[in-house]
Amino acid sequence: MSEKEVVLSARDIVVQFRVRERTLTAIRNVSLDLYEGETLAIVGESGSGKSVLTKTFTGMLEQNGSIPNGQIYFEGNNLLDIKNDKEWENIRGKKIATVFQDPMTSLNPIRSIGSQITEVIEKHQGKSAQEAKDIAIDLMERVGIYNAANRFDEYPFQYSGGMRQRIVIAIALACRPKILICDEPTTALDVTIQAQIVQLIKDLQKEYGFTTVYITHDLGVVANVADKVAVMYAGQIVEYGTVEELFYDPKHPYTWALLSSLPQLGTKGEDLYAITGTPPSLFDKVIGDAFAPRNPYAMKIDFEEEPPFFQISPTHKAKTWLLDPRAPKVNPPKAIDHLHERLTAMISKGGGYHG
Amino acid sequence: MKNYILGRLVRSIISIFLVVTIAILMVYTLVPRDNVFQNDQMLSKLASKPDEKVRYKYNAWERLGYLEFVDQREMCESASDNVSACMIVNSPESLAVKAEYEAKGWTVESFQQSGLLYAHKDKSVFSLVTTWFGRLIKVDNPWAITDSGNPNLERKIYLGSDHNGVPALKCSGCENKYLIYFDGSFPFIHQNIISLNFGISYPTFNGREVGAVITEGQGNPKQSQVKFETGQTISSPVNLHKCKYKSAATMDSMDQKKFVDNYANCANNLSDPSMVVMSFIFGVLGLIISYGIGLPAGILMASQKDKLADKIGIVYINFMIAVPSLAFIYFAKFLGNSAGLPEKFPTFGAHDIRSYILPTIILGLMSTASLMIWIRRYMIDQSSADYVKFARAKGLSQREIFVKHILRNAIIPIVNGIPSSIILTISGAVITETVFAIPGMGKMLPDAITGFNNPMIIALTFIFTTLSILSLLLGDILVTFVDPRIQLEAKGGSR
Repeated sequence: MSEKEVVLSARDIVVQFRVRERTLTAIRNVSLDLYEGETLAIVGESGSGKSVLTKTFTGMLEQNGSIPNGQIYFEGNNLLDIKNDKEWENIRGKKIATVFQDPMTSLNPIRSIGSQITEVIEKHQGKSAQEAKDIAIDLMERVGIYNAANRFDEYPFQYSGGMRQRIVIAIALACRPKILICDEPTTALDVTIQAQIVQLIKDLQKEYGFTTVYITHDLGVVANVADKVAVMYAGQIVEYGTVEELFYDPKHPYTWALLSSLPQLGTKGEDLYAITGTPPSLFDKVIGDAFAPRNPYAMKIDFEEEPPFFQISPTHKAKTWLLDPRAPKVNPPKAIDHLHERLTAMISKGGGYHG
Repeated sequence: MKNYILGRLVRSIISIFLVVTIAILMVYTLVPRDNVFQNDQMLSKLASKPDEKVRYKYNAWERLGYLEFVDQREMCESASDNVSACMIVNSPESLAVKAEYEAKGWTVESFQQSGLLYAHKDKSVFSLVTTWFGRLIKVDNPWAITDSGNPNLERKIYLGSDHNGVPALKCSGCENKYLIYFDGSFPFIHQNIISLNFGISYPTFNGREVGAVITEGQGNPKQSQVKFETGQTISSPVNLHKCKYKSAATMDSMDQKKFVDNYANCANNLSDPSMVVMSFIFGVLGLIISYGIGLPAGILMASQKDKLADKIGIVYINFMIAVPSLAFIYFAKFLGNSAGLPEKFPTFGAHDIRSYILPTIILGLMSTASLMIWIRRYMIDQSSADYVKFARAKGLSQREIFVKHILRNAIIPIVNGIPSSIILTISGAVITETVFAIPGMGKMLPDAITGFNNPMIIALTFIFTTLSILSLLLGDILVTFVDPRIQLEAKGGSR
C-alpha cells in the first residue's frame, strides 16, 4: 500500500478551544497521512477529537477554535497558512468535501433539491445554469434517485431520510473532490438504509477514485469499508493500521477495550462490556498515557511519561508502553479473537449493523 | 388550497359576525342610553320645551336603533278610522288606540304639556343584530330610486363615457350615476355598486353616514374648472363621478342648467385626503422607514454578532424599548422642531411635504426596534442550523450563505407579518396622530367611545376585525410563496 500517493499529510496538529476563559486542547500533536483512493476510518468515543481533526482539513473549526501548531500539506501547500475564507472556498466543497451526520437538517428546507446541487457546480466549476442542471440530474441518477429530472425541483421535505443523504452525497461529490470526509454519515439513518448509503459511497469511490475519511462509532462500517483505521483517544491517535491488523492484532489496550465493548459481541444473559471511568479532562495537561487511569494493564510508567509510537509493521503502529521490550507480556481479551471475520460475517448476513 | 381559503373565509365571516354581535350587545345593553345625549347641545336648548325634548330624545334613540317610536298622529293614522277625532286628547278614539298599542306590547305615555300620546317599544338584541347586518351591504340597482316627481325615470345599466370621455359603466334609476369609473386617483378604478351602510353617525359627526365620515375627503372644497353635461363650464368643486339622484322636487334651475338628468346631487372634491387615507399614508410611509432601517440593521447585527455593529444595535434597541413612546415622540418632535419642521400637521396642511417628515420618521423608528430584534434572532437561529454548516462545507462564501440560505429562511416569519402591518395602518396610530393633530383614524375609536357614538363604535369594530382577520389570511397565503413546506390544505394532511 505504501506505493500509493499521499494526498494529504497532517503533521503535529494541535487544536485548542477557548471555553469560558479556559483553554481546552482538543487535538494533541496528531500526525496523519491520507493516501489516494484509500478509505481511512477514524474511530473513538465521543469527544476524542475525531470531528475536530477533520475540520482542520477544511478550515471549519468553530469561532473559538485555533490551531497553534502543525502543518497540513495538500497539493503542495500548507492549508494552515490559509488565513481568509476566500481561499478556503477553493478547498471546501471543491477539493475536500464533507458529508454530515443528519441528512434531515443538512439541506436547506426551503430551497429546491436541484438548486442546492447546482449552486456548488456553478460556484466551483463556473458552469452555466443549464449545464449545471444537466450535471446535477446526472449526479442524482448516480446516487440512486429515480426519475431525477422530475424530482429536480422538489424540496427536501418531499424526500425520505435516505434519499436526502444520497442528495447530500451528490452535492459533496458534485465537484469531484479529492477527499470526502464522512462525519458519521449513517448515524441518523435506519439500519437498512445505512448499509445502502455505505455501499453507495463505496461504489462511487471506486468510480471517482477519491479518498474517503469515515468518522464513525460504527465498527461494522469500519470492517466493511475501511482500508486503514485510526483509533483516537483524548485528542490523540493511539493506534493506526490497516483494518486487518487492527481487528486481528490490536495492540493498544484502548483498542482492546473499544472492540470488547461492541454490543454484537455480547453473550445473551451477560452484561455488556463497558470501559470503566471517564476520559481525562482536556482542560488540564495530560501527563503520561491519557488512557492509563482506565487501563487495567496500566503500568507505573503510563502515569509518568507519554508513550511514543511503536511500529509493529510498516503500516501498523500503536502508542502504548506495552509494546516496549521491557514491558511484561499481556494477551488481549478473549472477546476480541477473530473479530474481523465475525464482523464481516455479520454484515454479509444481514445488511448493516450498528455499534 | 382553494378549499382551505374558502373554509378560512367562512370561519372569518363567522368570527366577524360574533365580534360585531358582542359589540352591539355591549353598546346597546350595557351602556345607559341617556349617555348618548351627554355632549348634545340640543337638549339644553330644548330645556324649556319638555314635549320637544322628549320627542327629540326618542327620535334620536329611534335613529340609533334602540327602539321604535310613534306619536299620536302616527298611532291614529295607522290604527283609527277617524284621525281627527283620535287626535283629541282623551277622546274615546284615542283611548282605543292607546289600548290597542298597549296590547301590542308598546309603552304608551303622554306628553307633559300637550297631553298627546306617544308610544315606544324597545327593540330586541336579536332584531338589533339582524337589522345591522341586514342593511350592511347595499347593492345599487336600477330600481333603487322611486321618485313620484319623475315617473318616467328610465331603468337601465349601460356603458357610456364620463365627462372626460373615458368609458364608464353608468346607470339610470340607480342611486349613483356612475357604477364603475376610472380616474387619476389611486386605485384608478372605482365602483359605486356595492357600498357598506353603517348607519348615520350620532352624536359626533351628526347626520353623516358613518362610512362617509371615515372614507370621504376632508378639508375645504377644491375648486376646478368643471365642464357639465349641458356644456356649461364653471369653476366648481363638484366631482361629477360622485353624483347621486336628486328628486325632481328638489331640482332647481341652477341644477337644470348644469345637468341633463336628475343626477345632480354631487359630492365635492375636497382638499385633503380622508381619515382612512391619511392614516394609511402615514402608516405606509412609516412602515417603509421601519422596514427600510430595521431589516438591514437586524441583518447587519446578525452577521456581525457580538461585534461592534451588533453591540451598537443592541444599545439602540434597548433605548427604543426602554423609553416610553410618548417620551420618544416628544423628544424626536423637539429635535425636528428645532430643525424647522412643523409642530402640528395642520400648520402646513396635507399638501406640504414638511407636514409628513416628522410623524413618519417617528412612526417608522418606533417599530424598528422590535423588527431588528426579531430579524436578528431569526437569522442567528438559522445560522446555527446544520444546513448552514453544510453550505459552508460546500465552499459557499459567507455572503452567499447569508443571502441564499440564512436570509431566505429567516425572512419567512417576517413575511407573514407584512400584510397585517400594511393593512392595519388604516386603523391609525393613536399617540402620534394625537400629538401631531393629524386628522386620521387613530383617535376615531376612542373618540367614538367617549362620545357614545354607537354606530361609529360598531362600524369601527367591524372594519378593524375584518381587516385583522383578512390580513392574517393574506399573511398565511403569502408565506406559501416563500416557504414550500407550507401548503394550505383543507384537511390536516399527512404532515
